[in-house]
Amino acid sequence: MVGLPYDFLVNPLGAVRSTFEKALASGSDPTSLDGKDWGVIELFRNFLFDQGGLSQAPVLNRATIRRVQPNTLVRFRGMIQDMLGNEFYVGAYKDDSVWRTNKFMDVSQFPMDTSSDKKVWERRLLYCVQVPGQSSWTEISSETVINGSMDWEFPLREKRRREVDESSDFMDILDSNDEVQSSSSMKKRKEDGHPSHASQSRGTLTVATDSSMCKVPNVDGDYTPCLVKIYDSPESDLKLNDVFEFIGVLTFDPELQTDKEDHNEFSIEFHEDALVQLPPNKVPRLHCLIHRKLAANDFLKSSPMMELKPHWVKSIREDLLKHLTAVLGNDDLAAHFMLLHLLSRVHARTETVAVGKLSLNFTCFSKESVSVFGNHLGDAIKNLIPFTHFISLTVDYLNTASLAPQKDYDTNRLVAGVLQLAEGSHLLIDETKLEAGTLNSVGVENARLLKILMEFQKVEYDFKFYKMDMAADVQLLILSDGKSNILPADLVVPFQPSTVDSLDSMPTEALEAWRWYLATVKLLPHSIESEMQKVVENDLVAARQADRNLGSQDFSRWLTMARLVSASFGETCLSLEHWQMVKELERMRKERLK
Amino acid sequence: MKDLDFDVDKVLAKEFLSNFADANGEAKYMEILQEVANHKTRAVQIDLEDLLNYKDLDEEFLRRVTENTRRYIGIFAEAIDELMPVPTEAFTDEDHDILMTQRSDEGVENADGSDPLQKMPPEIKRYFEVYIRASPKGRPFTIREVKASYIGQLVRISGIVTRCSDVKPLMQVAVYTCEDCGSEIYQEVTGRVFMPLFECPSKRCVMNRNKGNLILQLRASKFLKFQEAKIQELAEHVPKGHIPRTMTVHFRGELTRKVAPGDVVEFSGIFLPIPYFGFRAMRAGLVADTYLEAMSVTHFKKKYEEYELRGDEEVQIAHLAEDGDIYNKLSRSLAPEIYGHEDIKKALLLLLVGAPHRKLKDGMKIRGDLHICLMGDPGVAKSQLLKHIINVAPRGVYTTGRGSSGVGLTAAVQKDPVTNEMVLEGGALVLADMGICAIDEFDKMDESDRTAIHEVMEQQTVSIAKAGITTSLNARTAVLAAANPAWGRYDLRRTPAENINLPPALLSRFDLLWLILDRADMDSDLEMARHVVYVHQNKESPALGFTPLEPSVLRAYISAARRLSPCVPKELEEYVASAYCSIRQEEAKSNTPHSYTTVRTLLSILRISAALARLRFSETVAQSDVDEALRLMQMSKFSLYSDERQKSGLDAISDIYSILRDEAARTNKMDVSYGHALNWISRKGYSEAQLKECLEEYAALNVWQIHPHTFDIRFIDA
Repeated sequence: MVGLPYDFLVNPLGAVRSTFEKALASGSDPTSLDGKDWGVIELFRNFLFDQGGLSQAPVLNRATIRRVQPNTLVRFRGMIQDMLGNEFYVGAYKDDSVWRTNKFMDVSQFPMDTSSDKKVWERRLLYCVQVPGQSSWTEISSETVINGSMDWEFPLREKRRREVDESSDFMDILDSNDEVQSSSSMKKRKEDGHPSHASQSRGTLTVATDSSMCKVPNVDGDYTPCLVKIYDSPESDLKLNDVFEFIGVLTFDPELQTDKEDHNEFSIEFHEDALVQLPPNKVPRLHCLIHRKLAANDFLKSSPMMELKPHWVKSIREDLLKHLTAVLGNDDLAAHFMLLHLLSRVHARTETVAVGKLSLNFTCFSKESVSVFGNHLGDAIKNLIPFTHFISLTVDYLNTASLAPQKDYDTNRLVAGVLQLAEGSHLLIDETKLEAGTLNSVGVENARLLKILMEFQKVEYDFKFYKMDMAADVQLLILSDGKSNILPADLVVPFQPSTVDSLDSMPTEALEAWRWYLATVKLLPHSIESEMQKVVENDLVAARQADRNLGSQDFSRWLTMARLVSASFGETCLSLEHWQMVKELERMRKERLK
Repeated sequence: MKDLDFDVDKVLAKEFLSNFADANGEAKYMEILQEVANHKTRAVQIDLEDLLNYKDLDEEFLRRVTENTRRYIGIFAEAIDELMPVPTEAFTDEDHDILMTQRSDEGVENADGSDPLQKMPPEIKRYFEVYIRASPKGRPFTIREVKASYIGQLVRISGIVTRCSDVKPLMQVAVYTCEDCGSEIYQEVTGRVFMPLFECPSKRCVMNRNKGNLILQLRASKFLKFQEAKIQELAEHVPKGHIPRTMTVHFRGELTRKVAPGDVVEFSGIFLPIPYFGFRAMRAGLVADTYLEAMSVTHFKKKYEEYELRGDEEVQIAHLAEDGDIYNKLSRSLAPEIYGHEDIKKALLLLLVGAPHRKLKDGMKIRGDLHICLMGDPGVAKSQLLKHIINVAPRGVYTTGRGSSGVGLTAAVQKDPVTNEMVLEGGALVLADMGICAIDEFDKMDESDRTAIHEVMEQQTVSIAKAGITTSLNARTAVLAAANPAWGRYDLRRTPAENINLPPALLSRFDLLWLILDRADMDSDLEMARHVVYVHQNKESPALGFTPLEPSVLRAYISAARRLSPCVPKELEEYVASAYCSIRQEEAKSNTPHSYTTVRTLLSILRISAALARLRFSETVAQSDVDEALRLMQMSKFSLYSDERQKSGLDAISDIYSILRDEAARTNKMDVSYGHALNWISRKGYSEAQLKECLEEYAALNVWQIHPHTFDIRFIDA
C-alpha cells in the first residue's frame, strides 16, 4: 500500500474516480455499471471497519456542521423521516472519449457536453433528521453539550418560528396560526432583498427552522436535517423511522441556491418539488457510501463489551431496581413494573396483536405528586433510554396537536407528527392535567390515534386519500389520576409512594451500566420449555375459570411479563420461579386495585 | 441511416393503418380517420394490442414503437397526414378553417422560401391527435417499479391521483407575422418554455438586412389543452415501512379533464425526462426530473358486476368450483386469523354473494341483498370481522353508529355556499350502493338515526323531500351491523327480546341476527391459552391447517357467482312452505320467542338458499340449500338454545331423541330415514356426530333399531 492517490477522509471522491477508472481499465462496460458497485464500497468498508477509520470521520451535527468541509467523508446519525423518491442523474458520461462518472456527487467535476454520450442512473433520496427526542448522552462528540431535546412544557403553538420559505409567494402557508407572523417576516425579507443567511460565508451551513422545514415540531432548531442519497442498496434495507448511521460524501454548493429562483419562475403548475424546499445551503447532502442500522447499543458512549454473567446482571438489576424504587418514592411494586416496562419491546406481530408490548399506567397521581414524581421519573427515563418523549395531555393539546404524520401534497413532503418516533422510543404521557372539555374532530382523531398506538403499536399516517398503518415500537407510560380510559394501558398500577426524597445525581458509571443492561437484556431471546408450557397453560385456564373477565389480552400480558422477568435476570428460558414471580406481581397489583 | 429507418417505418405505419382489420373484419383505423376528417372526433388512438394482432406483424417495429414512442407518434401522425380521407360530410366553418383556406391560397406565394421557418409545419394543419396505448394485458407497473431504464418507453402505471392543475393552453406552433415583409413565420414549440423569435428570418428581410420586427399572432398560433397531475402509489403497492412514491403526469389535448384528485386510475404513457432550460441547463442535466406523458386513462371499476376476470383467475375459479368443499373453503378464508366462528363466516360469505334482485311484473322490487346483524358480548371480534368483510368487498363502507347521524348514513341536502343552490350529498349507505355497508356499534345509535335505515334495508332507496328537492337515491346495499346486547353483556336472566333491544321493525329486516355469546367453557379456554402461548413462543399465529384463499381470489369467485340468478323449482315450494310454517308454529308455542318470524323470514330463507345455489354455480336452488339456510338461521340463536336446554335439564342427546320422536309422531310414521333425521336435527343446530351418538345410545336402550348400512331409524313401538 504505497502512496494512495487519494485520501479516504479528505478526498473520498478520488477513491470513487480511481476505482471507476480501474474498473474501466479492466474491461467493464460503463453501461453495465448501472446499479452496481465497482469496488468502492469494499474499499471504504475495509478502511472504516477494518482499519478503524470510522472514528476519524467527523460526525455531522449542529456543532460540527460549520467546520466540516464539502466533499469530505462524514458520518451522520439520524432517523429516516421522509422518503423523497428517486432521483435520476447522469451516472456516466463521455468526456472526449473518456468515460467519467458522477456517482456520489451533485455537480459534475468536468464540464459535460450536452451532446455527449450519457447514461442515466438513479439514486434514492431520504430525508433524515436527528432522532426525535434523542437524549443528550447519546451524542458522540463529547465536546458539545446539546441542550435537552426533550421539551417538558411542550408549547407547540407558542413556539417561535423564525422564517418562512422563500418560495412562499407561490405556496399556501399551511399553518394558519403562523400566517400573520410569517407573512410579516416574509415582507421583511423581501425588503432586505435576499435571505438573511445569504450573508454568511461560503461553506457555512445554516440550520434554519422554516415553518415548512420544521418537520419535527417538538425540537426547536437544535437538529440537523440531512438529505441522504442512497446508491444501489436494496429498497427493503432502509425503512421509514429506522435509525441509521450513514457514512458518505458531504456535498453542498451555495450556487445551487440560485437554481431555486429559476425554478420558481418557470414552473407552471406545482411548487412541490421537494428539493426546492430543501435548499442545499440549509440542508446538507450526504452521498451515502455505507449505511448501518443502529440499535440502542450503538448509542452507548463506551460500549462495554461485558459478558452476560448471571451475577453481574443480577447485581445491575438490583441496583437499577433500587434506583427506580427511590425515584418512585419507595414504591417497590411500581419499580418492578417500571423495570419490566423499560425492557419491553415489540418482538413479533400477528394480524391483531403486537406481541411484547407492555404499556404501563400509574394511577393515583395528583397534580402535586406529578410535579415531583413525574419529573423524577422523566429525568430517570431520559437518563436510561436513548429516545424519550413527553406529552402533557390536555383538551387543548388534543384539539390542536398534529400527532399523526401527514402528507402535505403542496410540498410533497411528509410532515412529521409527534407520533413519528423511532423504534424503541419511550413516550411518557401525563394525563393529570386533562380536564373536562369538548374535543373537536382533530381531538377525537388524536385520541383515536393514541388508542391505536396503545393497543396495536401502530400509527396511522395520513395520506389524505388513504391512511397507511406504520408499525411502531414505543414504550408508553401514562401518569393519571384514575385509570386512563383514553389510553387503555396493558398494566394499571396504583402508585403509592411513601417518601419524597430529593434525588442525588447518579454516578456516570452506574448510569452507563444500566443503559448497557437495558439495551442488551432487551434483545435476549426467550423460550418456554414444553413442561413449563403445560404449567403455564393450566394456570391460564384455571385463572379464566375463576374469573370470566380475563381475556386473551390478559394472557398475553402475563406471558409478556414472564418473558421480561426472565430477561431481566439475563435468562433466556422461563423458569417456574419467574413464572411464580409474575403471578405474585399480578396478585399484588390486583390487591392494590381493589 | 436513421432517417431512412424512419421513412421505412412510416410506410409500415401507413400499411398498418390502412390494412388493419379488427375482429369484425372492418378497417378500424380508416373508420376513425374518416371521422377525424369529418371533424367528429379528434383522438386517433392506436392500440399496441392491434399492432400485435396485425397480420403482417413486424416484431422489430413493435419493439421500436414501445421503446421510442415519442418519435413514433410523430411518424404515425405523418402517416395519417398522407392517408387522411376526404370529408364525407359538410361541417360548419370555424375560424381555424378560414385561416387554413387563406393560408393555402397564399401558400403558392410563400412556397419559394426554402427557409424552414416559413414552411408551414404539419402540426398546424392537423385536426387530430395521435395516442399510442399500451397493451392492457398483464399487470401495470407501480410507480416504484419504473426505473431509469424505462425512460422514453411506453409504460402502464396504476396509481391514485392526488393533485390536478387547471387546464391551460400550451402553445404548439407559434405564428408570427413580419412587420416589414408581411410573411408568416412559424415556430414549433416542443417544450413548455420557448424563446420567441424577434427578427424576421425570411429571405427578403435577411437580404435587405432590415431585421423585420416580428409580431406574435395568437389567433393564428396553435394551442393545445394541457393539464398536469400528480399520482401516488396505491396503499397496497407500498412495501411495509415505506412512503408512497409520486409521479408527475402530463395530459394534452383530449386527455385533459379526465381525472380528478382521489381517482384510482391506470395510465399508459411515455416516461420522459423533463428537458431543462435556462440556468439549469447550464449544469447540463446532472439531475433530471421525469414525468409521464399520458396516452390513455382508465378508471378502475370497483363493482362486482364490472369486475373483469384475469386469465389465470378464470382457471382458478373453475378449479375451485370443481372442488366440492367450496362453501367451507371460502368461508374459512374470510378473516382466517379470527379463530372459530365457522358459521358466522359462512353467513358473511353469503352476505357477500347475495341473492339476485327480483322485480315483479307490477314493478315491485324484492331485494336480494342479505342483511346481517352480529350481536354479542364485547371482545368476540365483531369489529374485526366487519373490517375484514369491508376489505374483501369490492365496494364497502365502514362506519360506526356513534359517528354517523341519520343524514350521514342516508343523504343530506345542503346549500352550496357559493351558488346558493341546494345540492344533494349521498351518505354512507348511498356511497355503498351495490356494495356493503358495515355499521359498527349499531346499538349505540340514536333511535331517530336508526329509523333512517328502515327504508334502505327493505326498499333499498333513500328518499329525500327537503327544501325543494324530492328525489330517491339508490342504496342497493347489504347492511352488516354489529351491536352489543342491551346491557353491554348478554344477561341470561332476562328474556332474549329484552337483551336484543332492537325494535321488531328493524329486527325483522335482518335476514340473520347472530348472537355470539362468550361463555365459560373449559375447551375454548384451553384453546385460547394455547393460542396465546403459541403466539408468544413462535412469534406468529399458529398455522391455520389450511391455506386461506387470497382476497383477490375470493373476490373473483364471488363476482363470478354473482352473475347467476338461481330460481326455486316447483318441487321445492312445498318444502319451503312447510318449513316456514313449522317455524311459525314453534314460535307461537314458545312463551319467550327468540325471533320475530314474519313473511320476511320466508324471503330470507329463499334469499339465503339462492345465495348458496350461486356459490355452487347452479341455476336452481336445491333442497340442500334450503336445509343449510334453515340450519344457519337456527345456529344464529344456538348459544341461546343450548342454554335453555341446560336449564330444562335436557342434554344434547336426549334433545335429539325428543326431536326425532316428535317429528316421527307428527308424520305418523315408524320409519325415519337417516337423511331426514340429519335434516331435522341440523335445523336445531346439532351436529352429525351428536346424532350418531344419540342413535347408538338409544339403540342400546332398544328404543329404536338402526339399519346397519343406511342408518335409517325404525321406532320399536312401545
